[in-house]
Amino acid sequence: MIQHLFKLIWKRRKSNFLIMLEIFVAFIILFAVASLSTYLVRNYNQPSGINIDNVWTVYVNYNSLSDSLNRQNGELLEQKLKTFKEIKAYTFGHETFPYGNSHSQGDVGAKGKPSVNCSFVSIDENAPSVLGLELAQGEWFKNTDTVGRVTPVVITQYMKEKIFGDENPIGQFLGTENRQKVVGVLANFKQFSDFDELSGTLISPFRDAKTSFMARVDPSVSAEFEAQFAKSLRQINKDWNIEILHTSDMKADKNSMYTIPLTIVFIVCGFLIVNVVLGLFGVLFQNIARRRNEIGVRRAMGATQSHILSHFIGEMLVLATFAIGLGLFFAIQFPLLNVFDIENSTYLLGILVAVVVIYSLVIICAWLPSRQASTLHPAIALHEE
Amino acid sequence: MITLKNIEKVYRTDTIETLALNNINLEVSKGEFLSIMGPSGCGKSTLLNIMGLLDEPTKGGIQIDNQSITSFADKKLSAFRNQKIGFIFQSYHLINDLSVLDNVELPLLYRPSVSASERRDLATKALEKVGLSNRMKHYPTQLSGGQRQRVAIARAIVGNPSIILADEPTGNLDSNMGNEIMEILENLNKSDGTTIVMVTHDENMAKRTHRLVRLFDGSQVA
Repeated sequence: MIQHLFKLIWKRRKSNFLIMLEIFVAFIILFAVASLSTYLVRNYNQPSGINIDNVWTVYVNYNSLSDSLNRQNGELLEQKLKTFKEIKAYTFGHETFPYGNSHSQGDVGAKGKPSVNCSFVSIDENAPSVLGLELAQGEWFKNTDTVGRVTPVVITQYMKEKIFGDENPIGQFLGTENRQKVVGVLANFKQFSDFDELSGTLISPFRDAKTSFMARVDPSVSAEFEAQFAKSLRQINKDWNIEILHTSDMKADKNSMYTIPLTIVFIVCGFLIVNVVLGLFGVLFQNIARRRNEIGVRRAMGATQSHILSHFIGEMLVLATFAIGLGLFFAIQFPLLNVFDIENSTYLLGILVAVVVIYSLVIICAWLPSRQASTLHPAIALHEE
Repeated sequence: MITLKNIEKVYRTDTIETLALNNINLEVSKGEFLSIMGPSGCGKSTLLNIMGLLDEPTKGGIQIDNQSITSFADKKLSAFRNQKIGFIFQSYHLINDLSVLDNVELPLLYRPSVSASERRDLATKALEKVGLSNRMKHYPTQLSGGQRQRVAIARAIVGNPSIILADEPTGNLDSNMGNEIMEILENLNKSDGTTIVMVTHDENMAKRTHRLVRLFDGSQVA
């Protein structure tokens, strides 16, 4: 019977070409959307390694270019912070805080070892208590750890694996001049959004004038406290600019940079699928209307209703298999050529989802017209010319 | 072989009721070549469809080979039709996208016990029987009307049915072609003992059969 279906489809290849093309395009788009979704969901499910509950990011601008004045202001700021019992912990750093808009990056490696592109974060020794950072190996640096020209640094597990592989990185040096000594390895640290993959981050001690900071506040603090806190900081010096942001809002903003386009992609893909479904329905209904005579002949020759049903669904499945086969040829190139440096299993899952969805859609679309064909009365079908 | 008892067929729409067959009683013996004649719209094709189990009578019963068919479910009815009955239509009803050989194989596709190679062999033999073994790879659109009807006959006989129902098999053909088709049917009847029921408008063709049944306004008049 399969051979019979192949013959019919081959003979009608010109009229079937557009259906095949439609299924092929739908497969490619579904593969792309499914692979992208799989990639993002997998990233999302990786722990970020940062606890931002009740954490504020406070950007302070002293509006001064004098380093010595900025350092004095920093001391005044810290003294003021210590007066608030609602501020449970705070950490000063450069403005490259997690989920912020500033970031710095570059290649870092060790002598005789590969380099890896990583982000640089400069933050003081209190960061683990504010951000709930957990180390997989070693310990967090202290402000007093810097000896001579050697700077203690903490790196991410990803960076450790890329540079040191299975070697113990603790005590090893980074950079061409061996000035950065690894003292700790963070298990996870996703500083940009939940949808980013684990990447390299190099964290070094913050030693400049204290300006911007992150603070963990008491969960009970209210909006009034936030206003009062901002006011009291401004009272230190009226020239200071203070911006208090809830780090969870910053993270939500960063996440929305993925979720909004992804939602748009899903909506467009949904429309496309609806179009494909309507197109298939239309083509099949027309096809069956055109082939009523053939249905009558088959019934006269001994085909049962279920033969007719399976014949038309089978034809569509064979067509879909051709289109999917062509789509697979292109889709399989992605894992084979390691396009975008994404795990192969992400693409394979994308392929699987696209195949299952396409076959399900084809069966759903073929079912109703085929069912209608199977219930066609043979005498009536044969009577029509 | 075929027994029709008190067959009545009524076509109903929302506004009108048409009596297509009225109290038809007919017995066709094994090996008989029967023709049915009558004016257009008198119910000849309806009667043939009922004999071929393509249509159900409104009233009355059908027996084929002493089996009452009325209560058969779709699956059993289709299998019965496939095994026992071959159809020939006035307009051939060949599938244009299938080759001559594939068209002839069609009834055997619905017999799970027949393998692909057996199908091929049986279809080839059937085509040889109607003198078309040299046209197996052709498509119906590449054949003349007479050749198409011969393909249709090959398709009707490929499953070795005991009954052939022919609905105006020569209706679309000229007299020469019509004679050729009639000769094939006569041979099938004589040499294989196939029971043939043929609807025709042609008095000369009808005279060549064993018995003639005439219908008028849905009733049997002779």
